[in-house]
Amino acid sequence: MEEDKVSLAGYFKDFGRAVKNGNIWTRLSLIIMGLGHLANGQYIKGCIVTAVEVLFAWVIALIGGTYWPKLSTLGTVQRKESFDPVTMTKKVNNFDNSLLILLFSIVGIVICFFFALYYIYNLKQIYKVQQAKEAGGHVNTFREDCREMVNGKFYVTLLGLPTMGVVLINVIPIVFMTCIGFTNYDIDHQPPTYLFTWVGLKNFQTLFTSSVSDSFGYVFIRILIWTIIWAVVATFSTFFGGIFLAKFINDKRTKLPAMWRTFFVITIAIPQFVTLLLVGKMFGNNGIVNGICSQIGLTDFLENIGLVSKGLGYIPFLSKPGWAHVMIILINIWVGVPYQMLSATGLLMNIPTDQLEAAKIDGASERQIFWKITMPYIMFVMGPSLVTSIIANINNFNVIYLLTTDYTTTNMRFATSHGKEVDLLITWLFNLTNNYSNFKMASVIGIITFVICVALTLLSFSRLVRGDREEEFQ
Amino acid sequence: MAKNDLSKITSAENPVVVKAPFSKRVVRPVLRHLWLAFLSFIWLIPIVWLFVTSLSGYPGINTNHFFPQTWSLANYKKLLFQPDTVVNFPAWFKNSMIIGIFTCLISSLFVMMTAYAFSCMRFKGRKQLMSFSVTLGMFPGVLSMIAIYFVMKMIGLTNSIVGLIVIYSAGSGLGFLILKGFFDTISVSLRESAKLDGASELTIFLKIVLPLSKPMIVYTIISSFLNPWMDFVMAQLMIRSKNPKNWTVAMGLYNLVQKTLVGKYFSVFCAGGVMVAIPISILFVLMQKFYVQGITAGGVKG
Repeated sequence: MEEDKVSLAGYFKDFGRAVKNGNIWTRLSLIIMGLGHLANGQYIKGCIVTAVEVLFAWVIALIGGTYWPKLSTLGTVQRKESFDPVTMTKKVNNFDNSLLILLFSIVGIVICFFFALYYIYNLKQIYKVQQAKEAGGHVNTFREDCREMVNGKFYVTLLGLPTMGVVLINVIPIVFMTCIGFTNYDIDHQPPTYLFTWVGLKNFQTLFTSSVSDSFGYVFIRILIWTIIWAVVATFSTFFGGIFLAKFINDKRTKLPAMWRTFFVITIAIPQFVTLLLVGKMFGNNGIVNGICSQIGLTDFLENIGLVSKGLGYIPFLSKPGWAHVMIILINIWVGVPYQMLSATGLLMNIPTDQLEAAKIDGASERQIFWKITMPYIMFVMGPSLVTSIIANINNFNVIYLLTTDYTTTNMRFATSHGKEVDLLITWLFNLTNNYSNFKMASVIGIITFVICVALTLLSFSRLVRGDREEEFQ
Repeated sequence: MAKNDLSKITSAENPVVVKAPFSKRVVRPVLRHLWLAFLSFIWLIPIVWLFVTSLSGYPGINTNHFFPQTWSLANYKKLLFQPDTVVNFPAWFKNSMIIGIFTCLISSLFVMMTAYAFSCMRFKGRKQLMSFSVTLGMFPGVLSMIAIYFVMKMIGLTNSIVGLIVIYSAGSGLGFLILKGFFDTISVSLRESAKLDGASELTIFLKIVLPLSKPMIVYTIISSFLNPWMDFVMAQLMIRSKNPKNWTVAMGLYNLVQKTLVGKYFSVFCAGGVMVAIPISILFVLMQKFYVQGITAGGVKG
């Protein structure tokens, strides 16, 4: 199971060698891809490959002819409606749609990319068969080729459909949205009525500068800081909360551990959006918690000591900065600790008992055992997942979005950028796209969120990505 | 449990405790359980509130009383039998069910396929492809949503259940990491010997690797089934229909707590929450069992 090292140079060198050393049929396959196969006696394969080439040429002629020439400007003809008095109908001119131009151009480029890979692969394949034939070796029949697809080349069969899906749902949208960050696509430039065009790095400049009319720079820094605080606090609070709870419940001095565990697990079973909306309403300005707090006089007390501004009449649990920040983190502990408790329970049961026994014999106290053996073990196993959950929390849309549906900011600078003090980058950009059609800024924020996540991963998580140690377990 | 019982049990188990002072013998266990009871109370209160409000005769949010003043089953009746302009639970449930089943079929298949390819096969560019997938998964999904909408519009699949199924399942190949981790623990020699006996990779995949990973696969299947039940953002973006007949459960319930409706439909929302929670919690309990099995059977990996 030797894995070939892939290098880009080697990849193209192989291709060059195939072109240089190939016979006339192999070289002709550069133009008509199936010819080499036909010459080698693989007729069905030759036909299929040529058919693919024709299909590709047809698609590219369609997309390339219509959209690629306009890619550099994203369209120049704006939509105009004119009334034709002769036929008594409205006529629309043959306008450009920047959105479609960009989208189809990207689709075309992606198709070209995959075709190029296939093209090179095909030629190498033909060269290999040619060599085999010259050496008097065996040339696969179509049947054998098919069988190879569930055997040696099974990975192609396996990865084909999922890859297509990922390209459609992930790659194309991501490339598209990234490109939007370099255009002026916003509420004033919405296709089909208006055009948008390339503006270079202007949106990035907007995001990092703050002026009287433009508060994006200020809001971005504030929201970025809160996003980072949130991600770190939310991750660690639920992580340690879960471990301590699991430890507490699984302790042999606790009676009926299964019952206690069930109590906490019940909260997971109810869909998160239901519980979050529910808790959001409980802590709303007119929610039940506020009702009870004012009945027992807590609201008045808080007003008197100045934690709640005078005359408000309610505790702004989820509607004022500060209060909302703390509440969101507390509610997130409520949401997240049961999950963490479950996985920590599994881990605690798996701790190698010989170490624990040895420590006990040596007279270590329980606290020492916990901090010197249990915790390092848990950190060793769950450490890498901490980074994943920090990233998951940076992108934790649901908790923030569902809890702050009724939050309105009073800070003018936030309001002009359509942000809120409690927004994460992700909810801010959602709000920008969904309610204010400010796609260009949303895209820039998205790119930066992505860069932060990737940087975090590269810093500490590379071992999972590289998959270096997988053989050790096998 | 009475205090005496407690202390007896502890002392029977651990004779040292008998000599310990009263505080250690009685007070500590009591405190420990009181603390747990307090935590459980906090964790259960919203759930209890959801349940009792679903049985409330008053439709809006009850501000001053935890328990409803009048009890009735009207909310459930409305939810199940009296569809109106904003509520049509049977249709929501049907839609979500269809989406859930198809998504679950396609995406668990995709996940198993990619996990096997990445774990058990060796080919050029494998590591690059894996790194690429992991990186791709980090791009904020919320941002690409709007672009996904345009792509779907391009194929003509907006406003349809098929479109939602495609969205939920097509990208699922990226979620291979957990299952791949499990496949990694299946010993190579098993596969090698099957290969020596002339088994093709397809046979190894279907007859050896899949049966050996049953708990993890059940986990994958259930979690991919549950996924579309929770999502309301993408569904709202894709299904623009104003007729509640075409909505999913998550969309419909989310709509009920919007500012204009919450006063009239809050208790109906709670009833809906309870109704969804029942099948989901059953699946969840099942899934949890298999997940724990899968993790422990696979051995703990660092």
